[in-house]
Amino acid sequence: MKRAGIYSLVSAALMAVAAGPALAQGGSHDVRIVLPEQPANLEPCGSIVTNVGQVLNQNVTEPLTVIDAKTGKPEPKLATGWEQIDADTWRLKLRQGVKFHDGADFNAKAVAYSIERMTGGKLTCNNMAKFGNAKLTVKPVDDYTVEIKSDRPQPILPTLLSVVMVVSPNTPADKAVNDPVGTGPFKLTTFTPQTVVLDPFDGYWGKKPVVTKATYVWRQESSIRAAMVETGEADLTPSIAIQDASNPKTDFAYLNSETTAIRIDLAQPPLNDVRIRKALNLAIDWDGLGQLFGDDIQRASQMVVPGIIGHDDKLQPWKYDAAQAKKLVAAAKADGVKVDTEIKLIGRNGIYPNGAEAMEAMMTMWRSAGLNVKLVMLDVADWVRYLQKPYPAERGATLLQMMHDNNKGDAAFTIPIFYRSSGQYSVLNDPALDKEIDAAMAASGQAREDGFKKLFDKMRNEVVPDIPMFHMLGYTRVGNRLNWKPDITTNSEIPLANIQFKN
Amino acid sequence: MLHYLGRRASYSVISILGLLTLVFFLTRLTGDPSALYLPLDSTPEARAAFAHLNGLDQPVYIQFWNYLSDLLRLDFGESMRQHRSAMAVALEAFPQTLKLAFVAMLLSTGLAIVVGSLAAARPRGLFDRIASVVSLAGASAPDFWVAIVAILVFAVGMEVLPTSGTGGWEYWVMPIFVLMLRPFGLLVQVVRGTMLSSLASPYIKTARAKGLSRHAVVFGHALRNSLLPVITVAGDLATSLINGAVIVESVFGWPGIGKLMIDSIIQRDFAVVQSTILVTATAIFLLNILIDLLYAVLDPRVRY
Repeated sequence: MKRAGIYSLVSAALMAVAAGPALAQGGSHDVRIVLPEQPANLEPCGSIVTNVGQVLNQNVTEPLTVIDAKTGKPEPKLATGWEQIDADTWRLKLRQGVKFHDGADFNAKAVAYSIERMTGGKLTCNNMAKFGNAKLTVKPVDDYTVEIKSDRPQPILPTLLSVVMVVSPNTPADKAVNDPVGTGPFKLTTFTPQTVVLDPFDGYWGKKPVVTKATYVWRQESSIRAAMVETGEADLTPSIAIQDASNPKTDFAYLNSETTAIRIDLAQPPLNDVRIRKALNLAIDWDGLGQLFGDDIQRASQMVVPGIIGHDDKLQPWKYDAAQAKKLVAAAKADGVKVDTEIKLIGRNGIYPNGAEAMEAMMTMWRSAGLNVKLVMLDVADWVRYLQKPYPAERGATLLQMMHDNNKGDAAFTIPIFYRSSGQYSVLNDPALDKEIDAAMAASGQAREDGFKKLFDKMRNEVVPDIPMFHMLGYTRVGNRLNWKPDITTNSEIPLANIQFKN
Repeated sequence: MLHYLGRRASYSVISILGLLTLVFFLTRLTGDPSALYLPLDSTPEARAAFAHLNGLDQPVYIQFWNYLSDLLRLDFGESMRQHRSAMAVALEAFPQTLKLAFVAMLLSTGLAIVVGSLAAARPRGLFDRIASVVSLAGASAPDFWVAIVAILVFAVGMEVLPTSGTGGWEYWVMPIFVLMLRPFGLLVQVVRGTMLSSLASPYIKTARAKGLSRHAVVFGHALRNSLLPVITVAGDLATSLINGAVIVESVFGWPGIGKLMIDSIIQRDFAVVQSTILVTATAIFLLNILIDLLYAVLDPRVRY
């Protein structure tokens, strides 16, 4: 009797174990998304931060415009149209019949409130970084028309407005929130240290999404995220490491808008000699180096990815030519350039997968070309000192490992920062070049695109202030029941309305 | 006893205040948080505004004075990352770690006492040899590797347990198993060693001469006298678990205080670092008091 009891208990336990964990699959259209990191907060003003944006953007909160992933151009969202009144002023027509999750009306006053909340300086607003130092004033013209005026020309204001998340006028203006109220198709139900849950908003103005509920969880380890999708505990993860992307049926590579590069500090000898800068580009076995980042990696010839306005498709990346690199170094040496001066290659720990290995390999190749390069790997806090002005005075000749993300559709988010004398990451100081940049920035349409292309050509062929490496790929794993593919915007948002189901 | 407790409490308060002072200044040495909180392309004006909003534009000694004044009002500051009370963040995570640590220590200590005692009862026997190999392997296996392998086997391969997360009993199995390994391995070795020493004592010979059974001799007489060193080691292991089982929390997505502390240090979320250290230091102080009291219960010669 006693033994029979024990057997029963063991059988029951085994059956319970065999029943397994609760899975994401099933007939419902609820989805479970596993992110690499917990969103630190859910403040819409910080939605350019990846894990905040992937939850909020276009799900809970919506912007005035959205950027088309293919063309890079702004498309209507809460603003239905726009016109430029003068160089500094734009007039926007707003969508009618839109409600916030708390029942408040979406109108010109709500837009003015959201922009004033962003620019008021009472809370830290990461999204404002896209506007630089510009001061914006918003004037409601009527209930559904606003005029936005800047203290400087804003030829791409509609593009910039894609980072303005419109929040309910009932949102506090003087403090960051973790319970955002927007106009999106989903409203926030739960935010705990374990999970974020979004439920559909019945009063949504647009087409009702197929997804009926979204639950976000987070796991730091890539292999765990991949395993969760494989076992059905989650439906998708926006980011896994290349070594975990082993199943061609569920794992997708996508161009993620990030470009890796080395910035050359051309104020410092011997890097102030253009022959040395060209030699640095020629000395790298790019095919070999690319093996570190997977078969699908794309070589970069400029600091923005294809599809961004200003990207020049015809511009060719540097080819590997070790002999030519050695010749250029020798020629510079013959002219008295001190090529044996120590050049510090400053890498950043964890900047991207295999980033340290790439720096080791590049240092070796540059040494083979006759340059005295020494690798120093730093943590982000130290590395930032070399990235941003004011640079350390005692830095000497430096090469800086960096990665630039521009998914905002326009090279204006790249060129002035890197190449204008006042640019925060710029190592250039050329008033003539500044004028060219300003002219391109002030232009619109084709003239703007051509202006940016000309600048990228000049950087590649004449100035050579950097060593563009690769346009980076992200890897996602998508469960079998979903019909969803990542694109260039996946790093910043995962609109649930774009998710379809196979059955 | 009360006098002893009062004295320990006052020493601990002084220690905790010293620790908090040290942590306050050490965290400020890690650098400017705006480098991590703001986008890389933020303007200097935005950085200055961030520093002003968070009181970081003031001299460090003024910041410290403000911190101490707030502490007296039980205001532990606000998390720069999470935009809410730093102490609430710490207290939300701590029970998760405490539950995990309590169950892991209870199971590993109980199991280690039984296995270590049985191994010591017949030194160099088959059970002793197996116990030694298993305990040494457990004490030396890297947590991270065991956790990943366990997930691959039980969650991905056999699909009988969830990969990670929190929820029903099935979510506890792998984290507890991984967390138990090291304490179990170490404690089996300690129990075995102290039991061998006790079993060779004259009073054990007397007990055997009286005709007591082997079980009564091992568990009734030898074990009780062997427990003091076991409790010392178990207390030390429990302290490290209360500080946070960072690897287990990271791999299994367990929202405990260890991972929170490490993330806060990396993110320079100063108020949360200070609050997590205050919570864990207080817990460790209470644990040490408990261990001292246990000494007195187990050994009548110990009096406070």
